[in-house]
Amino acid sequence: MKEKVILQINGENREVFIEPKRTLLEVLREEIGLTGTKEACDTGACGACTVLIDNKPVLSCLTLAVACKGKEITTIEGLKEGEKLHPLQASFIEHGAIQCGMCTPGMILSAKALLDENPDPGEIEVRKAIAGNLCRCTGYVKIVEAILAVTRGE
Amino acid sequence: MKLFDYLEPGTIGEATQLLYDCGEKPRILAGGIHLIPRMRKGEIEAEYVIDIQKIPGLDRIVTEGKGGVTFGAMARLRSIESSRIIQSKYPVLYEAIHQITSVQTKYMGTAVGNLCVGTPASDVATSLFALGARLKITGTRGERIEPIEKFYADYHLTSLKRGEMVTGVVLPDSPPGMGTAFLNLVRTHADIAKISVAVAIVVEDGICRDVRVAIGAAAPTVFRAAKAESLLNGEMITSQAVNKAAETASAETRPITDLRSTAEYRREMAKVLVKRALEKALARAGCRG
Repeated sequence: MKEKVILQINGENREVFIEPKRTLLEVLREEIGLTGTKEACDTGACGACTVLIDNKPVLSCLTLAVACKGKEITTIEGLKEGEKLHPLQASFIEHGAIQCGMCTPGMILSAKALLDENPDPGEIEVRKAIAGNLCRCTGYVKIVEAILAVTRGE
Repeated sequence: MKLFDYLEPGTIGEATQLLYDCGEKPRILAGGIHLIPRMRKGEIEAEYVIDIQKIPGLDRIVTEGKGGVTFGAMARLRSIESSRIIQSKYPVLYEAIHQITSVQTKYMGTAVGNLCVGTPASDVATSLFALGARLKITGTRGERIEPIEKFYADYHLTSLKRGEMVTGVVLPDSPPGMGTAFLNLVRTHADIAKISVAVAIVVEDGICRDVRVAIGAAAPTVFRAAKAESLLNGEMITSQAVNKAAETASAETRPITDLRSTAEYRREMAKVLVKRALEKALARAGCRG
């Protein structure tokens, strides 16, 4: 049975008409058209589907959309302010931390959650914070550098 | 994924009544880390998904008057890991959760959900066996408390009856002379353990007053190596005693060969990990064995 669900995404209320079995990932991409959040493994292992719910990084492929009523959902599209990129987005570009780009939205949101909680992490804490986000292209070095650069205000 | 009815009870009473009334296939949804992927693959069929996230108070981690700590069914792995009281009084539980690498899994997943899967490879369950944790189980007829050692009847089989759910975990007060340790072996840190060991030991004047040796992923359920424990209990702690206990613990395992490891390797590594965990726990208890 489809039901009306109102989701708060990037500060805006979006109304969808969905069955309870739909995951948040499916609803973001297919019902709302926000394709920045990526579907890769779709089984909770890779982190490409990471979004922030109430500022905490979670796997949208394992989250039922109906379970998200009343919560603040942030996707990668919600990071920029007007046309100005978030410092993490700019730093990833600057440091060559993006190759195919599939892991990037999830990676940046995990990093954002870390920096919002701890603005001055060391390298180990950065690596632990992105441990749930797999990257098959870069070998992670540039990603870690990009995140640390933001902490140094670069 | 098959269609299901999504239900959001506001109280534990409503949840247990729904569990009881909804026939064969109701499932509790907490973090969803285990349930959702299995349902999407068709490995679990649920006609009713009972989401307990709205029930107030289930996420709390509470220090009890007598010095123990309890946490509820919605206490996320991440909150337990971050809790100062857990880090200082129950480091073995902190270590078991901390080595789970995915931050997202820890923000979503709950310790109780992890326990209720019933896999012997649960690092959380293994550490709770070492702590002598007890489970609060609530059903339509009231609440019962069960030691975690009695909770697993067999592989993936808990003692939960129709209409029952685990609503909390009770950790006893940890005595001052207690040392604990958690160790496991993994192919990669994102993987499930090949074998895990959690130990708690209390030593006074060189004599072991209490010990628990819990082993995970080496039998159909997490278990305590009771024969190994009886070799240590009441005895002087020496390195020979530790070695003998480790060998005995290894003989108590009933491991299988699967994609992560062989029975032979698990049996051998049980000995190695029990020895190392005992040594680490003893050092933390302030004792040089």
